[in-house]
Amino acid sequence: MSAALRTGGVLLALSVILMVLGNFVTPGFLSFTQVSTQLKISAFLGLFALCQTFVLLAGGEGVDLSVGAIGSLGGIVGAALLQGKDSALLAVAALMGTAGAAVGTISGLGVALLGVPPLVMTLAIASIVNGGLIIFESIAQPPIAASPFLAQLAGRATWGAPNIVLLWIVVGLAALWFLSATAWGRKIRSTGANARVALLSGTHITLVKVSVYAISGLVAALSGFCLIGYVGAAFLGLGDAYVLPSIVVAVIGGMSLAGGRGSYVGVAAAAILITVLTSLLATIQIGEAGRQIIFGCILIGFLLLNRRLERAA
Amino acid sequence: MRSLRHARILPSLGMLVVVFAMNVALQPDLITRASLSSNVATFAPTVLVSAAQAIIVLMGELDLSVGAGVSMLNCALSTLPELAGWGLVPTLAATFGIALAAGATNGALVAYLGLPSLIVTFATSAIWFGVALAFRPQPGGSIDPALNELYAASIAGVPIALILILIAIGLWSILQRHPLGRQLLAVGGNPTAAFHAGIDVRWVKFRGHCIAWCFVYLGSLAISAQTLSGDSRLGLPYTLTSVAAVVIGGISLAGGRGSVWGAAFGAIALGLVANVIYFAGIPSIYQEFFKGIVICIALSFTFILGRRTIE
Repeated sequence: MSAALRTGGVLLALSVILMVLGNFVTPGFLSFTQVSTQLKISAFLGLFALCQTFVLLAGGEGVDLSVGAIGSLGGIVGAALLQGKDSALLAVAALMGTAGAAVGTISGLGVALLGVPPLVMTLAIASIVNGGLIIFESIAQPPIAASPFLAQLAGRATWGAPNIVLLWIVVGLAALWFLSATAWGRKIRSTGANARVALLSGTHITLVKVSVYAISGLVAALSGFCLIGYVGAAFLGLGDAYVLPSIVVAVIGGMSLAGGRGSYVGVAAAAILITVLTSLLATIQIGEAGRQIIFGCILIGFLLLNRRLERAA
Repeated sequence: MRSLRHARILPSLGMLVVVFAMNVALQPDLITRASLSSNVATFAPTVLVSAAQAIIVLMGELDLSVGAGVSMLNCALSTLPELAGWGLVPTLAATFGIALAAGATNGALVAYLGLPSLIVTFATSAIWFGVALAFRPQPGGSIDPALNELYAASIAGVPIALILILIAIGLWSILQRHPLGRQLLAVGGNPTAAFHAGIDVRWVKFRGHCIAWCFVYLGSLAISAQTLSGDSRLGLPYTLTSVAAVVIGGISLAGGRGSVWGAAFGAIALGLVANVIYFAGIPSIYQEFFKGIVICIALSFTFILGRRTIE
């Protein structure tokens, strides 16, 4: 835990330094509205990275490339069912969560029972879900607008803190508690650390593995559902932009690709850091080409830094 | 060992035969010379990039930057002539240099710095994409039409596109009999054992990446010869397609098992699936969905059959 806190601390300190630097480059970067916008964007990235946190923690080269497609599913089908009104909000949210968990369960079964590599399994599932959404959009032409409540959740603030950020904090704390204080959470970690030992000590590792993909699907679908409040409307490919960044954020946040190590504290800090970095690069007048190159180079730098922190610990 | 290697190719070969038969049934004039060679010309870029991905996956790594790499090379091909006033040959040579440099960069980061390839090639893909944009912020420019004529030509009745594919597979066959090829497989199968057997694991992986990027270069030439212009987004879809082809081709993502043949079959099968969907008159909105289903079916064959033959 202390290692996770240190990683999180270093990454958060880097984000603050970047924000201060950004204020020199673009005055107003440190303003209240700017910072809360940054945190809102971080919240969505952080929620998608939470999916990866669970899957990575359970090991077996676990990554989930279907979070984007499932997020789009939650957003598009959710908006279609809401029809721009709040009347059935909770029921629709529950339905979307269930749908996401169901899709995740299919991936989990493929990984745990058939032994398909997670990368491939979730990629295949993603293409089916995305394909299904294309058919749904073209045939049903459903309503795509967010409901007033979702717009408030993503757009408004309570006592100065954006609602979605408060939600992120609550979900993040719940995940931290689940992973460290419950028996199932500890089983996920021990399966990732050493599946053989976990199996021999009586853990049902197939069930553990299926459960992390189900949780990932649940979180992804609900994040996509909330995302339409922020974007304003659902569209095909809504969640696609989060797929690879969510994995990158989880790894920079200290999750081991080998499984069993890392904490969501570091991942959440990494989500803020990457968001600040991206928007700082967007404010500098260097053009898209330069931005991409700097982003790639800094990412490699973070990977190297990350390894140093890991070795020190 | 040899029969085992062939066993892993069988599912993809079977799929290829089935999809080809479906394609012929739907489009009887497919088996004419003109139609076959135009299909080969279309599939060649995917086959070549998949061959590159296959070599990297056989070493137990993954390269998410091949697609952006194809874009970068395509933009270099279309920009260098007007930027430096070069003819076709110096442009081709310089672009080959860029490809080797990209492969060497990935190889150094993965092999010598030991960074996870999944994440680090995502980072380098941003860099390649940035370089592509620097060469060509907007789609456009032009590539010497001689490249297109060369690509459409044939030697002794064999289209150049097919020769490119044969070269890729031929190179792999030579490599397999060469110590480096065996070392690539050994490093992918069990790096610790390879290390104890006296193999310089890092040097092998580094060279493997450089060889793979020679194929990325050929793939980029093949696609550029068809479009004859530069587009920084042209190559991006190749990343995921090449991974899918490799997996359908029965190459283990854990490394060490499979062959470039499988990836070539997988890539051609994926291309034929698109043909079948088109000629079956299935509305375009269903394409993505059916493609996903086909990949899933191929996957389950690969895993169920593959398991049985190995266990």
